[in-house]
Amino acid sequence: MKNPVRASLLVTCLVDLFYPEIGVAIVKLLRRLGVAVDFPPSQTCCGLPLFNSGYHEEAARVARRMIPLFSGSEHVVVPSGSCAWMIKKEYPGLVGDDPAVGAQARTLAERTHELSQFLVKVLGVTRVETDFRGRVAYHDSCHLLRGLGESQSPRTLLGGLPGVELVELPGADECCGFGGSFSVRFPEVSTSILDKKIANIEKTGAGGVVACDAGCLMQMSGGLSRKGSPVKALHLAQILAGSASS
Amino acid sequence: MTASSRFGERAAVALKDAYLQEALTIATTKFIGLRKDSFAGFPEGEGLRDQARAIKEATLQKLDHYLEQVADNVERLGGHVHWAATAEEARETILGLCRDRGVKMAVKSKSMATEEIELNEALERAGVTPIETDLGEYIIQLAHEKPSHIIAPAIHKTKGQVADLFSRELKERFAADPEVLTAAARKELRQKFLQADMGITGANFAVADTGTVVLVTNEGNGRMVTSLPRIHVAVMGIEKVIPSMTDLMVFLAILARSATGQKLSVYTTLVRGPRRSGEVDGPEEFHLILMDNGRSRQIAGALREALYCLRCGACLNVCPVYRQIGGHAYGETYPGPIGILLTAMLKGDRAVKDLAHASSLCGACQEVCPVGIDIPRMLIALRHRLDRERIAPLGERLMFRIFGRVLASPALFRLGAALGRLAQRPFVRDGRLRSLPLLFGRWTRSRDLPPLARRTFSERWKDLA
Amino acid sequence: MATRGEFLEKIRREVRRAPGLFAASPAARPDRPTEAAAAARRQMAERWPEALERFRQEFERVNGIFHRVAGLDEVAGVIGDIAREKGARELVAWAPGELGLDLRPSLEPQGVSIAVAPTDGRDDARRRHREAAARAPIGVTGADFALAETGTLILISGAGRPRSTSLLPETHVAVFDRERLLETLEQVGVMLEALHADAERSMSGGVISFITGPSRTADIELTLTRGVHGPKEVHAIFVGTR
Repeated sequence: MKNPVRASLLVTCLVDLFYPEIGVAIVKLLRRLGVAVDFPPSQTCCGLPLFNSGYHEEAARVARRMIPLFSGSEHVVVPSGSCAWMIKKEYPGLVGDDPAVGAQARTLAERTHELSQFLVKVLGVTRVETDFRGRVAYHDSCHLLRGLGESQSPRTLLGGLPGVELVELPGADECCGFGGSFSVRFPEVSTSILDKKIANIEKTGAGGVVACDAGCLMQMSGGLSRKGSPVKALHLAQILAGSASS
Repeated sequence: MTASSRFGERAAVALKDAYLQEALTIATTKFIGLRKDSFAGFPEGEGLRDQARAIKEATLQKLDHYLEQVADNVERLGGHVHWAATAEEARETILGLCRDRGVKMAVKSKSMATEEIELNEALERAGVTPIETDLGEYIIQLAHEKPSHIIAPAIHKTKGQVADLFSRELKERFAADPEVLTAAARKELRQKFLQADMGITGANFAVADTGTVVLVTNEGNGRMVTSLPRIHVAVMGIEKVIPSMTDLMVFLAILARSATGQKLSVYTTLVRGPRRSGEVDGPEEFHLILMDNGRSRQIAGALREALYCLRCGACLNVCPVYRQIGGHAYGETYPGPIGILLTAMLKGDRAVKDLAHASSLCGACQEVCPVGIDIPRMLIALRHRLDRERIAPLGERLMFRIFGRVLASPALFRLGAALGRLAQRPFVRDGRLRSLPLLFGRWTRSRDLPPLARRTFSERWKDLA
Repeated sequence: MATRGEFLEKIRREVRRAPGLFAASPAARPDRPTEAAAAARRQMAERWPEALERFRQEFERVNGIFHRVAGLDEVAGVIGDIAREKGARELVAWAPGELGLDLRPSLEPQGVSIAVAPTDGRDDARRRHREAAARAPIGVTGADFALAETGTLILISGAGRPRSTSLLPETHVAVFDRERLLETLEQVGVMLEALHADAERSMSGGVISFITGPSRTADIELTLTRGVHGPKEVHAIFVGTR
């Protein structure tokens, strides 16, 4: 009997606080795929909101707290392209010289994977069994697309689902307007960018828009809901886990 | 109160301008498509972009050497070189030449460098009439406006507005037809080219090895301005120098593609000093003004990479923020993603107090930049400096310090979540937060928010373990 | 006002204290440009038919009008046709020595007056020619290079080969033969390196103009219009047997 793949979930602050059902979906999905999932306690945030606004000391402090939590992890799975990007691309530079966590930061960067990349590139999974049915469109989150160079894995996973019709979203690679604090610093500009995204989503006739980043989901669902639109904004994990996640 | 502190207001005005919104969508979408198609059929393009980036970096590593070389060669060809450390010095040099040479009217080919130093206003004050000859610049000059895009300055104007403008200024009725209006501009400006005492241009490149100043244009005004008047003055930022003709070909291969999707612009003009004996056309005098104006400070600074910029405008076309608000909302000479960095370079960090945040950090700019400038990284670095230098408002800085403490402490994080769950209770309607006070109201004005979950994932974990 | 020394010293200081972002070099230049140019010419002596076909395609793609004649004696005929079509009674042309032919004997009897560029640089001759160029509907030049990759004509200015000939008239006609053809921008780079390595030729003209189709703009509502300041029409006449 093979040793199961072991993965730690870095749940991210937005999922922890606002979308715990996404965390539940990931756990159920990974277990169904034979992964032994653990959840190191005392997680807070990867520090990206602080970093992007220029508060680098504060971001480093958060990083120094988070890094040791995963020192025993073989793989760290993150339901967010932006958080995965922060850990993989910025943590080594941010705290790389720190004697306590520097080396750990570099190790963590290697072992961290955004969810879709973990499924396709680490587990080699391309077909998942799910009871989710419907037409969905996929939105490329900026950090996953450009920061981590990933556009194919989520589409591979969605495309391999028998009950799911994946339609291409016009302007899929265009920003949704979230940008973290940008969404509250310049709310009108953020919303006008969002309006374009929603218009594109509606053009597809899809019942759901799928993304791999809770920030994008919060922005898109915020606009869709305000409009009274029946279109749902869903995380990839929720599609793949199906009703098992509720 | 600096110009950019009214950025929010200007952005709001732009968002309500229905014509501008449509014009921006059409123009930027078109440019995006043209650029994409151009590179799709050009497999060597990626390699050339890497090479272009390397040439820019290599040049900066020996910038003094190349500037010396270009100056020596310009002088060898019979041109004059002027060293302008500041915008003021550049203006003074040109005004001095106008005085000494009796210049009454100067025709200008599109030059962001001359906009940067506000040359037209200085010339007018000195009694010299500057005439913009690039059609888009001519239009906005008549309208007393600033350009709204680096390469298409008048995209915010309808043909009706241009027709009205021309009718008023040229005292003749013109139909709102681009062909008619272009012909009117051709006729009017042809006279100016032939009568002008001086031609003023910028420079896309200056080749150090040969002393050649290079202009990349489409209309022919660049050629006119450098061939017909008796004096030609080129104003050039120091970062535009490149080592050799071989390097020039690398840039020419990708510049027009990045800007408009053309393989080459209609005219690439290699100026080699004043005219030679026996030539019918060409200036008697050629002057190259090498301008610093804040650039050298960035050679060892955080914005060094911004010195690679070719001023192609590709980043403007893909920027989700620029595409919504256009160039005027930025309130500075250079708009768009690179514009924020150039504004900081030229005017200091305080000038980008708001602009540094006018970005969702999506990275589309870096993706299309022909020289791969990492604009998001430098925007974050600017934001960091705004905190370090205490330019960011005290309230914001305190809030982020507190936020930072909460995120760094699991106990405070849990406490914050618990307090938030209590505080949100009166605001939850149908499972959504639709209207919140204070800072959160900035979100709920236009979007719903999910409420904090009754049980966080961390609290639910024990049920899953 | 900064002196050259002060200006450069400041930059030198900044360059010295700046860590570069990454190891980088400028593009590799030909060691012996004159030989590299000769090699390119030899290569083109073989490849000119393919290059010509590519030039034609690219030139037409940028709205150039392409003609082909078997010999120099047929050039005046093509130009005469263009003049008739446009109702043009005068044209300006490069000096016969620069153009490689004299159009006057064939076209003047047909009622087309031709102002050829002076070569002596005298002010009155220059002024008269400038006025002719501003009036004439057609300007006839040669071309120093014809770049196939982009459909570009490359003209070096000089005595007897003014810039205004290809700039002021509404129609520009360029005449060239197979020896002018180049395939790539890279080859153009080699030629320009060689030009500048030659002390005498490097001083020849005040400007080198790359012309890719007629003048154009899309500044008004992104509507493409031609003939903004430069020519509205560009013709290329290739002279050479098949």
